[in-house]
Amino acid sequence: MTTLILVLLIILALYTLLSRDLLHGTIALSAVSLLSAILFYYLYAPDVAITEAAVGAGVSTVVFVWAIRATERRDSGK
Amino acid sequence: MMKRQRVISFLQTFLALGAVLAVVIPVFLSDFPWPTSARDYLEAHGVADSGARNLVSAIYLGYRAFDTLGETIVLLVAVSGTIGIIAQSGVSLARGFGEEALDRKTASPRLRHRRTELIDVVTGKLGPIVLIFGLYVMLFGHLSPGGGFQGGVVIASGIVFIALGSKNEDSTRLQEAGMLARIEAAGFLSLILAALSGMVTGSGFFGNPLAGMGASPVSYIVILNAVIGLKVGAGIGFMCVAMMGRVE
Repeated sequence: MTTLILVLLIILALYTLLSRDLLHGTIALSAVSLLSAILFYYLYAPDVAITEAAVGAGVSTVVFVWAIRATERRDSGK
Repeated sequence: MMKRQRVISFLQTFLALGAVLAVVIPVFLSDFPWPTSARDYLEAHGVADSGARNLVSAIYLGYRAFDTLGETIVLLVAVSGTIGIIAQSGVSLARGFGEEALDRKTASPRLRHRRTELIDVVTGKLGPIVLIFGLYVMLFGHLSPGGGFQGGVVIASGIVFIALGSKNEDSTRLQEAGMLARIEAAGFLSLILAALSGMVTGSGFFGNPLAGMGASPVSYIVILNAVIGLKVGAGIGFMCVAMMGRVE
């Protein structure tokens, strides 16, 4: 279970880094946070899991989406 | 020119991976036993000392309350900085969620279709439930997982939901930036007062002022949790509401 979540985390994190569409990257990043929250809960750290889910998947996604909307959605790739 | 950039980016990746490995590999290779004295002490005395069944909140509001004050100040400075930047750059940054589309007549068609019915219906209904859950996490932080920071962030999510869900009519004053700023200021003032109040009765900075009157030590943790939760929730909520361009 832990290995599966970790492998998924690495794949999603790489996708976040490499995707040219920043909105897709942001959603993948919030999935990373959600998976980490599940991992923390699974490893008996429910306090950290609540914080990770609320900050990572909630508030920081809102902030990122706001920043993308206010600027450009596509990474120019230079 | 392109080639040089590629080399630089390769070097950056290599350096970052090397730094991570240099930190992580010794941890895996070492056979030094983990220090256990603090863990054992907390297991034996934590509940009796603080009365909090959730030992995490016993640590960060009991044994290490001073560090919590520092974290709160860090958050306060972060929110102040964000608000400063948003206020400097004006409404141009508030394009974020297409909030100009609230004014149906002047809104451009491109902005109008960004607000879907899904957002209006789901966030408006979900907001109050998330708020209640945040209050629960905040007030029961000494018994169940959670606490002031966790509950505060959940409350902030609830405020964002309510602010996104209400279209034109205001259903609550919680989405007004001025109100949130006032709650945050009052929360921080109460935190300082609660920290100082222990000094008057002789239990020291961040000591429990009620300790001498036979009150359970957990009551102080509940008070601190509530104050920190309100402060964090109002602060982060204020930041998000300001990003939506709701600051006059």
